[in-house]
Amino acid sequence: MTAETDFRAVFSHLGAVANYARRRGSTDADALAAEVMTIAWRRLPNVPKGDPRPWLFATARNLLLAEFRARGRTPHLAERDLPAPEFAELDSQLRGALLALSPLDREALLLVAWEDLTPSQAGQALGINPAAFRVRLLRARRRLRARLEDDGPAPLPVPEVEGS
Amino acid sequence: MKTDSVMRRLAAANPYPHDAAAAREELFAQIVGQPAAARPVRKTYRRSLVVAVAALVAVAVLASTAFAISQWLGGDVVKPDVTNAEYHQAQRQLPLPPGVTWPTLHFQANTVMSRGGGGGFAVGIAQNAWECEWARAIRARDEKSAALAQTEAQRLLRDNVIVAPAGASENWAPPVVAGHPYAVYADDGGYEWVRGTYALAAAGHPQRLAQRCRANSPG
Repeated sequence: MTAETDFRAVFSHLGAVANYARRRGSTDADALAAEVMTIAWRRLPNVPKGDPRPWLFATARNLLLAEFRARGRTPHLAERDLPAPEFAELDSQLRGALLALSPLDREALLLVAWEDLTPSQAGQALGINPAAFRVRLLRARRRLRARLEDDGPAPLPVPEVEGS
Repeated sequence: MKTDSVMRRLAAANPYPHDAAAAREELFAQIVGQPAAARPVRKTYRRSLVVAVAALVAVAVLASTAFAISQWLGGDVVKPDVTNAEYHQAQRQLPLPPGVTWPTLHFQANTVMSRGGGGGFAVGIAQNAWECEWARAIRARDEKSAALAQTEAQRLLRDNVIVAPAGASENWAPPVVAGHPYAVYADDGGYEWVRGTYALAAAGHPQRLAQRCRANSPG
């Protein structure tokens, strides 16, 4: 098994990392993902072979924090607190409910719902042990649900129309 | 977990549900084509100058007769006074960004290095300083400082970096030294990687440059 073969498996997550950065509001998600992969190549022995995604997302997260600090968007950002992305694509109710959560609660939910990580993997990405992450996730879900219920029923989904 | 209605709703709202298909093979080749670093062959300032110097000192202590052995083997190695003199001489030739000062290098008496090593340290330090300044200036939208830093970083790469011939040993040195500070890069794609990094930065994408800055900064 050569280093390149090992790295190929890591590299297959490039798109997922780019989308993660895009969803979190990076101004240059593709470049950030490329940087994550470059770091992964340089530190390949440190990248977990079985499932590198928590490591990759944690690295992407650090780069995002640096990007946001550099942009002056959140100059005193805490280590775990990614700022809220724009969420422009979301319906206003869901957007409002997500924005009302703490950054870490929001990130816990999104790592599971959008990045498709298991709670254990998401905990690794955030540097939280699995048990603590499950508790946080449970509370975050409750808070999100409460916010959504406070705001009334969800809007009816708009059916997709093909060929129009 | 996503059987929960809230999580299902959240998952369905994913603004980018599918991985973007990009020109990945080219990027893959570019990444694996670079070294585990754009690492100068003989100078070990890449990760941390402090660590590098400590490693050199440790090697020197372990091989207390290194100088004699090296002479016996015919290598052109020098003692710390020569390395320090090279380092100080190089400082007179290599400008640093405003506000940046040259760090002091400490070598134990029995340390030996290849001739030209002091100049190599200076080139590496200057490169790192200008790269950090360039990345900072781009992000601060300080065009004047960015232009100056770009000029200096590119000049260093052009005038003070030598790529070793393919297959050259780690101790390879160019035939003419003559008081000109230089760093030697292995023939492993590192030089091209740096050039690519500079090209990206010149196009307004400083992320890779900033990453190099962080990776190479002392301490």
